[in-house]
Amino acid sequence: MRDRPLSYLLLVPAFLIVLATTLYPLAYSFVIAFREWDLTKQNRPGTFVGLDNFTYAFTEPGFLNSLWVTTIFVVTSVVLTLFIAMSLALLLRRTGRMHTFTRIILILPFAMSPALIGVSYRFMFNPEFGVIAKGLGAIFPALQGVPWLASPDLSMAILVLTDVWHWSPYMTFMCLGGLASVPRETEEAARIDGASGFRIFFGIVLPQMKGVLMVVAVLKTIFALKMFDQVVTLTGGGPGNSTETLAYFIFNVGFKWYDMGYASALAWILTGIMMLISIWYVRMLLSERKVATA
Amino acid sequence: MAEVKLVDVEKRYGSFLAVPKQSLTIEEGEFLVLLGPSGCGKTTTMRMIAGLEEITAGDLMIGGERVNDKPPKDRDIAMVFQNYGLYPHMTVAENIGYPLKLRGFNRQAREARVAETAEKVELGKLLKRRPSELSGGQRQRVALARAIVRTPKLFLMDEPLSNLDAKLRVTMRAELKHLHHELGVTTVYVTHDQMEAMTLASRVAVMRKGRIVQLDTPKMIYSEPANLFVASFIGSPPMNLIDGVISQGTFTAPGVNLPVSAADRGNVVLGIRPEELDLVPADGEGLFSGLLYALELTGESTLVTLREGTTVVCARGGADFDAPIGTRCALVPKAGARLHLFDKDSGERV
Repeated sequence: MRDRPLSYLLLVPAFLIVLATTLYPLAYSFVIAFREWDLTKQNRPGTFVGLDNFTYAFTEPGFLNSLWVTTIFVVTSVVLTLFIAMSLALLLRRTGRMHTFTRIILILPFAMSPALIGVSYRFMFNPEFGVIAKGLGAIFPALQGVPWLASPDLSMAILVLTDVWHWSPYMTFMCLGGLASVPRETEEAARIDGASGFRIFFGIVLPQMKGVLMVVAVLKTIFALKMFDQVVTLTGGGPGNSTETLAYFIFNVGFKWYDMGYASALAWILTGIMMLISIWYVRMLLSERKVATA
Repeated sequence: MAEVKLVDVEKRYGSFLAVPKQSLTIEEGEFLVLLGPSGCGKTTTMRMIAGLEEITAGDLMIGGERVNDKPPKDRDIAMVFQNYGLYPHMTVAENIGYPLKLRGFNRQAREARVAETAEKVELGKLLKRRPSELSGGQRQRVALARAIVRTPKLFLMDEPLSNLDAKLRVTMRAELKHLHHELGVTTVYVTHDQMEAMTLASRVAVMRKGRIVQLDTPKMIYSEPANLFVASFIGSPPMNLIDGVISQGTFTAPGVNLPVSAADRGNVVLGIRPEELDLVPADGEGLFSGLLYALELTGESTLVTLREGTTVVCARGGADFDAPIGTRCALVPKAGARLHLFDKDSGERV
């Protein structure tokens, strides 16, 4: 008990850093979300405009487009990442030299910087000299000269692909952890009870991994909602605005059009979406725990 | 009900031989206990019977049919696991009814059978609960109910009572025995607890290093151990084993002089159970004399340990026996006591 004042004192530096780098900007952005502030005209926040920045967002095509693009991106990348991560986890679940080796090299994509991944894939899908574009053209002649990143649908597909490629390893490890926590005896009991492999997976293993899969899904959703780096380095939001995600759109509004008030309002809308997902997740998790510990 | 036959069955993990070639026949309706210390291969043997481990060599027959290549679900067996193996996301009723569901029983038939089975193991009021809401004993009952809900050819039980407290273990043991009597299904039971083995089994297979070292009724295993390992493993407190020599019809060791009807030989181990020894006054015709080393009151009796040189002998005395530690005491075999002689090198019975 005597150490309590000292423990608070030791927390002060960390708190000050968080205050300066996170809490203050967050609070400040909340204040300017209700103000007009064109950075090309004034260096301080302007007049109070109430909810105008927020209501304007829902009538403005740029925001609505980015919302739609983000939704498509989030849904496809989360579903694909989850599916691939779970499949890889099942394959890598066994122990053995090959499995250990594969697990080690599997972490490499996650170790790469997202911005670098974007640049690499942009080169690899270049129709003139890209290794993937050329390779696909050699295998499927119909794909020769396809302008991969010049097509709205294909560029979105490639953006999703790079994200799934980047995140699947990490999520695979989370799924492996989840699988390891499923008691082998429940699977063996089901085998003896007469369940097929398909039924054991869907009826016994998957329900026991609900908690882990929820964490994976929520984390991946939040990361996908913030998608920015690869958009900048891979597609630049294009062609047109077909891959302009919400985070990239907010960046453009704030740092290309210098409309700080509107950009702050958009950032808070994105924060609101992520908070809603987090609250839903925490409530689900708490109700799960209640069942488990009742 | 079915007869189970293992013919020259062997299990290897790579170059490691877990269960060397062995044969075993489990009679129809029999309660066979595989007993041995950890790592002796008893669970591996059971898992081979269950189909959870592949058999490296040999044949496994259940009900006269070779089942080596059959998956567990086609062997018509039920198994109770050490950690219960209950499905945590299902209710008690769903857990018990799951084998029926997989075998295509309709809902009505399933519910009726589940209710009937739950009553048998006194789970009737807990059907809507999940395993996490049950005590260890209740979970074990659910695992049992799931096994007996249909009538398989064979029950396999892998240390099913080891996670229960001592009192509950005794209760569950009686219930298992009653269930076996009622259902009459061939049962293979794995345990390292000799008390479970002795009380439950029709026959006990004592295993060591993957091999069955003695296969007999509990009574014979106790009274006629085939070797030193079985002699020391069965019985609580264990059999007294005294190293010595036989010369001119007398077994001699530090503090011991005992007439035996065996030819002269060195390197021999004499075995006698503590309950077959009587405490006598130190100056009497005691055949083992030593200083009182420890007294342990067990309730109904007192375990008396005497020591002389390197020889330590334990006897079961009356509950009211008391004497200061260090007192010289003597022991004599009771009338009709069985003396066991083993070769010290091979461990085999002489």
